[in-house]
Amino acid sequence: MITKQLIDQIEGEASIFFDMKDDVVDFATIAFPHFRGMESILKGKSALDALVITPRVCGICGHAHLMATVRALENAYKNAGYPIELSKKVEIIREFTLVMEMIQNHFKWIYLTIIPEVSKLTDSTRESTPLKGAYAASIASKAIAIFGGQWPHSSYMIPGGITTDPTNIDLLKVESYVDELISFFEKESIGISLEQFLSFESCKDFNTLSSDISYLESSLVTMKMNEKGFAYDRFLVIGEHTFSKPSKLKQTRPFGIDAKYVNTIDSYSPDKVSYAKNAQYKDEFYETGPLARAIATNLPIVKNMHRRFKDSAYSRVMARVFELATLLKHAKGLLSEIDISQKSCLKSVDISKITATGTGVVEAPRGPLLHTVNIKNGLIQEYKIVTPTQFNIGSSSKSNPTPAQKAMIGMTQAEALFIFRTFDVCSVCTTH
Amino acid sequence: MNDYSLTKEEELTMADRIEGVKKLFTSKSARVETNRGDAHYEKLFQSCQTRIEELKTQTPSKNRLDIDDLLEDQGVNRRDFMKWASAVTGMLMLPASFTPLVADAALLMNRAPVIWIELSDCAGNTEAMLRSDGPKIDEILLDIISLEFNETIMAASGHQAEAQLEDAMHTFKDKYLLFVEGAVPMGMNGQFGTIGAEGETMHDHLQRVAKHAAAIVAVGSCATFGGVPAASPNPTGAVGVMDVVKGKPLINIPACPANPANMVGVIIHYILTGQVPELDSLLRPKFAFGYRIHDNCERRAHFDAGEFVEEWGDEGAKNNFCLYKVGCKGPMTFNNCSIVRYNEGVNWPVGVGRGCIGCSEPDFWDKYAYERPMADAHIKAPTGGVEKTVDEFGLGLLTAAGIGIGIHAAASIVAGKKEDGGEA
Repeated sequence: MITKQLIDQIEGEASIFFDMKDDVVDFATIAFPHFRGMESILKGKSALDALVITPRVCGICGHAHLMATVRALENAYKNAGYPIELSKKVEIIREFTLVMEMIQNHFKWIYLTIIPEVSKLTDSTRESTPLKGAYAASIASKAIAIFGGQWPHSSYMIPGGITTDPTNIDLLKVESYVDELISFFEKESIGISLEQFLSFESCKDFNTLSSDISYLESSLVTMKMNEKGFAYDRFLVIGEHTFSKPSKLKQTRPFGIDAKYVNTIDSYSPDKVSYAKNAQYKDEFYETGPLARAIATNLPIVKNMHRRFKDSAYSRVMARVFELATLLKHAKGLLSEIDISQKSCLKSVDISKITATGTGVVEAPRGPLLHTVNIKNGLIQEYKIVTPTQFNIGSSSKSNPTPAQKAMIGMTQAEALFIFRTFDVCSVCTTH
Repeated sequence: MNDYSLTKEEELTMADRIEGVKKLFTSKSARVETNRGDAHYEKLFQSCQTRIEELKTQTPSKNRLDIDDLLEDQGVNRRDFMKWASAVTGMLMLPASFTPLVADAALLMNRAPVIWIELSDCAGNTEAMLRSDGPKIDEILLDIISLEFNETIMAASGHQAEAQLEDAMHTFKDKYLLFVEGAVPMGMNGQFGTIGAEGETMHDHLQRVAKHAAAIVAVGSCATFGGVPAASPNPTGAVGVMDVVKGKPLINIPACPANPANMVGVIIHYILTGQVPELDSLLRPKFAFGYRIHDNCERRAHFDAGEFVEEWGDEGAKNNFCLYKVGCKGPMTFNNCSIVRYNEGVNWPVGVGRGCIGCSEPDFWDKYAYERPMADAHIKAPTGGVEKTVDEFGLGLLTAAGIGIGIHAAASIVAGKKEDGGEA
């Protein structure tokens, strides 16, 4: 019997069609029933226009799209014989704003999505505090706005650098926002200092806390989410940043990776029209996101989680929580390295001289985001976008399920819905 | 050394062009009357006060909290709240005497139920609203605003959420403000976007929810004029709400994303007066869209002095020069970004050296959203309500090699400085 379940609290629309047998999920397909046609809108435009258009693919991760676009353009410049050099200042500021976007995403996800879901499923009477997430996100977006002009939808990155030329006062302001975020996180979310939290190496350490995060962690155990929600236990990290290490991972064994082996196939959704595609690596499904990134960088506590609970829903959720902590520390470190005397933008040739293909990859909040642009005399011939939700939450057949589909098999419907959410769905990105 | 001297004929054409540029950059673009005389404001004050008293007698919807309690809880003192209230009063173009009424209206925001639906969007406006204006104040107000339904942030989900929408529409029939985010895809019989259990098309969903709304507020470029999905070639046949919903009071708050300060301003205005604010011909509230970015830009002095950024990263860029020549569409764009800014007044695109892309204007993706001046693009520049071609405005002038001096002369005349014209 097929039942349809609508998913809310995500950017866009999604529906899951559950095929239930004996009250557990035999199989589930996923449909994303909306489409805007961004790739065909980009066709024919000047390549630099993509810098303002692609952020509009998504309201919560638009900044990642901006960075993927600028990387794709700079890669095209390189392939056309005009390699672009970026000053260290530019690389740091770009990475900083990307990291802040991830931080606001994770805060929002924890307080607006996952804690309320956990409370519902454990019938908890604990007070709901969604505005904590909104408040933290507003501080993070202000930090982005100092460099980027506004958030959502800043467009301050251009091939060769950034348009901003920050002063020391700007840096002071940004630092105060980051400090406020850290102390908010310490006081409201973890109940312990950030340094101490980051020193945790075993899941047992969470038991020493009494806070929103420890509530989340113990609820996950109560719900037995450390024994459920397993996918393929293989992961992908493709974006190059100082906080990530590109690799293909089978369990925790790393292998080399090349973006050119990413392929997409049509989505399988027999019950409803879906405008999504599935993303694969060398024709296989891999999981992406904070869990993947943590394993790739050998983070002790996540390795500990993985050793005990593999790629369960527990690991997925707690990896994202822990990534929030590591990124907060990383952001502060990045700020201290900025040398404002360096150039904001290094000259490059006019875009009309460029005829080449370029690929840009970034680690977005949910995993790798790839933009490939084919430019002829400065005009876009073709623009292809592959989003992390296409890797995690595609919809395929029973014989070859995607990570999210695999994770839901054998669960009750309520459990399956929760496990679905642990992948952090972004629907508008997936269909663009 | 370049020879800038012109032939007699060229001089005459140049004079015409300078006229054209003058017109573009100095036209009286402000469409909002900021002083209507004492009698008007006295009458308005009376009617607002009456309405506020009336609302006070109504019971607040459902379990909405008392703002006084919340303000105290959050440690926001009365002084900060009044500061915010006076800022909003100014933004609404009301005299300072209205500040106490605005404060009262804010306290009564839980009497204005809001239903927020999303169509073909990216959720950027919801994201912006979640971080809206004021130190913690607007977040508190969000708690009180009686946001009866917003699929991205509400607690319920799935069929339960659908039920909540139906419930809200029934309970607040003919009273709720309907906020719409996202365009309406009309192509392929509306199948490019469906919502909910029955796979209702976004168009049908909108019509159904709008039927018993008191007024509709289209938020963001997509809901107002079609936005990015409607950019050429408009693959899904996307249109704005105003093209689809007729016979209802409609307010457009464009921009990409729309400024949450303007969203809150509209709600406060509705509480104060029970009516939609004064709108321009594109149904945009005049208090926010009655003047151009160019009119209030922090870099205007550089424009007047003929100091421009020529290319990214140059000396001009380092010194915050005018961004016109790298594509700023400020002179053609009506919005209050240069005053109110974004992310709680922290910054805005021009502030980081990136020109305005005209995102509160219709069709801006095709007309304005690129980092080159309009001169080379053959499009119409709407100012003063009269559409002229780019040529007639003499914008072709602005890309010529010796332009620095030419525009300086024109701009200086424009700025009223005494200078020898015809320096070019």
